[in-house]
Amino acid sequence: MQYVWDLLKYNPSDPLIFSTSLFLFLFVFFLLFYNLFGRNKMVRLGLLIVFSLYFYYKSAGYYAGILVVSAIVNFFFAKFIASTENFTWKRIHLALAVILNIGILGYFKYTNFIVQIFAEMSSSRFEPLSIFLPIGISFYTFKSLNYVFDVYLDNMEPTNSFRDFCVYVFFFPNLLMGPIDRAADFLPQIQKELFLSKEDLGKATLLIIAGLFKKVVVADYIGLNFVDRIFDYPLRYTGVENLLAIYGYALQIYCDFSGYTDMAIGIALFLGFKLMDNFNAPFKATSIADFWRRWHISLSKWLLDYLFKPMQFSMRTLRIWANVIALFITFVICGFWHGGAWNFIIWGALHGFMMSVGLLIQKPKQSLYKLLRINDTKFLRFFQAIITFHLIAASFLIFRTNDFQIIKDMFSQIFYFFHAAVFLQFAEKLPIIFGLMTLGFALHFMPVKLENGIKKIFTSFPWFAQALILVVVIWIAAQFKSADITPFIYFQF
Amino acid sequence: MISQELKTVILKQLNLDDFDLQGETIAPQVPGWDSLNHINIILAVEQKFGIKFKSRELLQLKCVGDLQKLVDSKLGK
Repeated sequence: MQYVWDLLKYNPSDPLIFSTSLFLFLFVFFLLFYNLFGRNKMVRLGLLIVFSLYFYYKSAGYYAGILVVSAIVNFFFAKFIASTENFTWKRIHLALAVILNIGILGYFKYTNFIVQIFAEMSSSRFEPLSIFLPIGISFYTFKSLNYVFDVYLDNMEPTNSFRDFCVYVFFFPNLLMGPIDRAADFLPQIQKELFLSKEDLGKATLLIIAGLFKKVVVADYIGLNFVDRIFDYPLRYTGVENLLAIYGYALQIYCDFSGYTDMAIGIALFLGFKLMDNFNAPFKATSIADFWRRWHISLSKWLLDYLFKPMQFSMRTLRIWANVIALFITFVICGFWHGGAWNFIIWGALHGFMMSVGLLIQKPKQSLYKLLRINDTKFLRFFQAIITFHLIAASFLIFRTNDFQIIKDMFSQIFYFFHAAVFLQFAEKLPIIFGLMTLGFALHFMPVKLENGIKKIFTSFPWFAQALILVVVIWIAAQFKSADITPFIYFQF
Repeated sequence: MISQELKTVILKQLNLDDFDLQGETIAPQVPGWDSLNHINIILAVEQKFGIKFKSRELLQLKCVGDLQKLVDSKLGK
């Protein structure tokens, strides 16, 4: 009994993430009851709220209260904003809502970073304050805020139901890592009857399969057994391995994040909710701007609508410079959103800089393409995609580590100690890593037509065949999870 | 219904000879009309009709029809 209680109670080192067996077990039970009371909306939504709160409690303990505070604050501020015709009052309420939301987020996420900056400036010793960071706070703060913004902009009517708003804010599939869904898209879905078509069921199962595979098999395995080792001691390895680790980390971070998102969208679909897409083959991007239309779409769209556009419009007489300034500020904030550390700020600033440069050289670039007669050709798009991928992969280095010596060492190995022949050894001695990286990138670059064909075939399978494939993938994931770490024998030079 | 004047201003900014702009057309459906180019279109519209938009009004625009309505309201139509 004590074991079960220990398993179910809050444990900071064991959040209830989708790829754990505990989540799978609890979710199956929850889904059973959720469908059993499918026709009784009150009970069904009540169950969803209670399970979502438990889900968050399991990851954040009593700090789950912040989630409730967030729901109350934003529900009432949106009501105040909508209830008055006085524009000044609307603005005051909006400003208060923003200050409160960002204040709570800022306290938990950035206090130590700011204290550290002050300590460094005054040359005093930095003593980090003991502040708990509630998991997912950046995601649900932004999710709640978009509701307030959209009500302020008259893009939607506020809901009169606090219950419905709680379902939106607490909704466990997208609570910890997004997608940062829009209230305007989500709230109307609450009113619909629970109905899942055969296609939805197939799509949901396939998303969970894809997510599990990406997260547990690809991301965790190559991360633990290859990428982490190179990043720990880059000088012990040749340029080939360092370059492959950079590619590997790009694949790892994509599979980790998009895998979780796939599972979130799939789980939500099982509950009768359609969440927004968050990734669209980001490494196929032909420019940094294109990358941000494909990577973490819900965040980039949030930043575009509520941060970039207001700044851009207010400075519009500056023409192109309005775009440049707004872009740079937006991406510095985008970096800061990821965490209170300099490497995230620099990462954001780098993306802002690259996009600004891209914007400023857009016209001469187009003229050059026309002159060379390569404008809008497959050839050009191929090279643009390769260059963009390398810029993105290199920028992820700053995301991965705040030790700039490691980045310097990695590049120095790539440029001065490459040893191309080691590539064959790598493929021969580490076939699983090599195979997973090849498979990961091959699946990512798979033509859309082929991808849609696979989806169509899978959804046409009977439910038991789909369930069997899911069980097989869970089994494979479990094998990878418990697999022994492959020793790096030939990497020692 | 989109007026010929508004259509001409938008298409000129996008370097398009012709495009069937309807009331419900949204920016991503029109070649070259992205969030960065949007500012040039807004400035050109303001200049052409001698009007000034508020940022909040611009943030509420969803489609070309909304822009037409906003221009009309500014012109007192």
